[in-house]
Amino acid sequence: MAAPLLLVVLVAVTVRAALYRSSLAAFISERVEVASPLNAWKRVVEGLALLDLGVSPYSGAIFHETPLIIYLFHFLIEYAELVFMITDVLTAVALYLAIQDFNKVVFKKQKLLIELDKYAPDVAELIRTPMEMHYIPLKVALFYLLNPYTVMSCVAKSTCAINNTVIAFFILATIKGSAFLSAVFLALATYQSLYPLTLFAPALLYLLQRQFIPIKLKSKSFWLYTMQYAALYLCSLVVIVCLSFFLLNSWDFIPSVYGFILSVPDLTPNIGLFWYFFAEMFEHFSLFFVCVFQINVFFYTIPLAIKLKEHPVFFMFVQIAIISIFKSYPTVGDIALYMAFLPVWSHLYRFLRNTFILSCVLIVCSLLFPVLWHLWIYAGSANSNFYYAITLTFNIGQILLISDYFYAFLRREYYLSHGLHLTRQDGTEAMLVLK
Amino acid sequence: MAAAVPAVAALFLACCGAALASGVQDQAEQFFRSGHTNNWAVLVCTSRFWFNYRHVANTLSVYRSVKRLGIPDSHIVLMLADDMACNPRNPKPATVFSHKNMELNVYGDDVEVDYRSYEVTVENFLRVLTGRIPPSTPRSKRLLSDDRSNILIYMTGHGGNGFLKFQDSEEITNVELADAFEQMWQKRRYNELLFIIDTCQGASMYERFYSPNIMALASSQVGEDSLSHQPDLGIGVHLMDRYTFYVLEFLEEIHPASQTNMNDLFQVCPKSLCVSTPGHRTDLFQRDPQNVLITDFFGSVRKVEITTETISLDRDLAGFESKLPKDELATEPLKYAEQLPVAQIIHQKPKQKDWHPPGGFILGLWALIIMVFFKTYGIKHMKHVF
Repeated sequence: MAAPLLLVVLVAVTVRAALYRSSLAAFISERVEVASPLNAWKRVVEGLALLDLGVSPYSGAIFHETPLIIYLFHFLIEYAELVFMITDVLTAVALYLAIQDFNKVVFKKQKLLIELDKYAPDVAELIRTPMEMHYIPLKVALFYLLNPYTVMSCVAKSTCAINNTVIAFFILATIKGSAFLSAVFLALATYQSLYPLTLFAPALLYLLQRQFIPIKLKSKSFWLYTMQYAALYLCSLVVIVCLSFFLLNSWDFIPSVYGFILSVPDLTPNIGLFWYFFAEMFEHFSLFFVCVFQINVFFYTIPLAIKLKEHPVFFMFVQIAIISIFKSYPTVGDIALYMAFLPVWSHLYRFLRNTFILSCVLIVCSLLFPVLWHLWIYAGSANSNFYYAITLTFNIGQILLISDYFYAFLRREYYLSHGLHLTRQDGTEAMLVLK
Repeated sequence: MAAAVPAVAALFLACCGAALASGVQDQAEQFFRSGHTNNWAVLVCTSRFWFNYRHVANTLSVYRSVKRLGIPDSHIVLMLADDMACNPRNPKPATVFSHKNMELNVYGDDVEVDYRSYEVTVENFLRVLTGRIPPSTPRSKRLLSDDRSNILIYMTGHGGNGFLKFQDSEEITNVELADAFEQMWQKRRYNELLFIIDTCQGASMYERFYSPNIMALASSQVGEDSLSHQPDLGIGVHLMDRYTFYVLEFLEEIHPASQTNMNDLFQVCPKSLCVSTPGHRTDLFQRDPQNVLITDFFGSVRKVEITTETISLDRDLAGFESKLPKDELATEPLKYAEQLPVAQIIHQKPKQKDWHPPGGFILGLWALIIMVFFKTYGIKHMKHVF
C-alpha cells in the first residue's frame, strides 16, 4: 500500500506547488473562509516582524498564535510553503496509518461478536469483509490531500494545517493504544486551539476499550485508568504552557490566545455562527451569549459519550465535526479534517438518507461564499445578511451530514443485533424511526 | 515784520508741500496697505442629490459674484458635488435659479466647474488646498496661490458640530481644516484668507483655526441650524439658503471700485432675516476688519494709482513690515526629487533577525521531545544513538 500512497502524496504536492506559483495564491490567502484571525499567515508574519522590532507580538490584537508556533516559524519562515506541504503530507500519512490499524480493530471486534453469536441471523449483507476495507486508508489519505478545502487552506498558508496535523497524530497515537503519546498530543492540540479538549472523552473510551476495562461507574480499574490518563494529559498541558512562558518571559499569550478564542472580540465574517450574532447584539447581553455559544461546543460530549460508548472512534469523528461547526473561528481547513473520515463509514451508504441534498447544499454554498462576499463588500449591492444566510445554510448542511451519519450508524447497529427484517408484534413490516 | 510774512508764507508753503508730499506718501502707503497681489477663490458645494439643489445654487451665486468682480476662471476652483442643471429632475434644464420666479439664472453660459460630481471628496479638497496634487493634474484644478494671494474659501452643504459632510459618505472635521490651513500658511500659500461657511452649526468649523491672517464667517452658531430660503413650486425644491441669499443680495451692490468693508458683511443677515445667528472670527486677522475691503477677497482689483509725482520708496515704510516671524523663513529650498533617499532605500540589504528564542526554552523543548521519544520507544533504542 505504500506505492499508491506515495503516488497520491506526489499528486497532492504537485497540485499545491502549482497553486503556490500561480496568481491564485494571493487571492486565496485573503479569503475569509480560509484564513481566520486565529490562523491567518499574514498575522504570523506580522507577529514575527513585531518580535524583530523588539515588541511583544501579543501586545496588539493582531497575533493570536501560541509561542510554539513563534518558535517553529522563527527558523522556518523562509520555507513556509514547504512546511505547509509537509504538514499536509504528515497529516495524511498519520490518518492512513491510524485508519489501517482501526480497520484491523474493527475486523477483530466483528469476528468476536460473530463468534459470540451477538448478531441476528439475516444480517450477512451488513458484515464487513477485509476486501472492501482494504482500500479505505488510501481513500482517507486521498480525501484529505485532494480535498479542495485542504488545498485552499494549504495555499493560503493557514496554520489550521498544523492544528490538523497535531489532531491526526493524536488520533494515530490513540488508535495505536499508547496512552502517554495520546495524552501528549491531546495536550498539544488543546494548547493550540482549546476545543480539542472535548476529544478527551472519546480517546479515554477507546483506550479503556483497548485495555478491556469495562465502563462501569463503580469499577475501580475504570477510575484508576481515567485518573492516570487525566493526570498525564493535565501534566503535559501544564508543562507545555509553562514552557511557552519561557519563550517570551510573559504570560501575555494566555489572554491573547485563549481569551481571544473564548471571548470572540474580533467579528470578521467567517463561515462560523458567531460573528453575525455578536455584531448586532447589545453590549449588555454579549457576555451571556458568549457563554451560551461556547457551552454549545462542549455540551454534546456527555450525551454522545453515553450513546456512543461502544464506538469511540465514531464518537471522535462526530466530536471533531461538532468542533469544526461550532467553534468560534472555523475555517475550511477544520472541515477538511472530518471530511477525511467519511470513507471509513462508507459501509453506511445504504442507510444514508440525504446524500443528494447534502452534497448539493455543501457544493452550492461553497461556491456562493465568494460570490456573496463580492456582492457585499465590493459591489455594495448585498449586505451581511446575504453572507450570513449562506453561512447558516452551509452549517445546517454540515449538521445534517453529521446527523445523517449518526442515524445511519445507529441504525446499522440496531439491524446487526435485531436483524434486517424487522417485524412488529402483528407480523407486518416495521420501520425504524429516529426519535 | 515784513520779512516775517514771506517767512511764514514760505513756512506755510513748505508745510503744505510737505503735507502734499506726505499725502502722496499716504497714497503710496495705501498702495501697499492690503499686501496682496492676486486673488483666488475656492468654492465648494459638498452635497449631492436633487433635494440639495440649494447648495449648488449657493455656490454658483458666490461664483457669479466673484467672477463679476474680476476674479478670472483660471483663479477659481469650483467644486460642485452634483449636477443640478442637467439633472433629469430639473424642469428647466441647463439652469440653476437662485430666486423664485426665476429671476436670476446663476448657471449661465460660462460656468467652469473644475471638480465635478464624485471628484468632490475630502481628499481632493485637502489636496487642492495644500497643493499636494499629482503631477498629472491640469492647471484648472490646481490652487496655484503664492504668499501674496488673498484666497476666498466658501463651503456649503450639510454639517454638524465640528464636521462638514461630503457627498453623503464622508466628513471633514474642523481640526483637519485647521491643519490644512496651517499647512498652507507654512508653505506660504496665502497672504490672507477669508473662510465663509453656510451649513448647520457652521461656527464650529472655524473654532479650531490657529494660523494667522484668517477671517471666518459662518451662517449659524453651534447648536443652531441654517435654514433655507424659499421653495419654488415650479422647480419643487428650496432654491437657496437664507444666509447666502442675503450675502448675494449684498454682493450684487458691490462693484469693483466700492469701498465697502468687512464690517458691513458682518451685518448681513441679522437674526430677524436669517433665523440663525451668523458668526464671524477675526482674532487671527492682523488688519482691522474696518480696513478690509470686500473687493480684497471677492474681487480681483488691481491696484493702479496714476500719479505724476515721483515717489521715493523708503525702505522702512510703515505698514509694510514683513509679517513673517524670522524663524519661519525657509533656510534652503528642497527639491521635490531629493526629499526621499531613494538610492538608500532600494539598495537595502535584508535585515538580520534581532530576536532569538531564549536558550532555556530551546533546551527545555528539545529535552521534552527527546523524553517523549524515548518513553514511547524504550530506552533500548538509546544504544543505537550513542
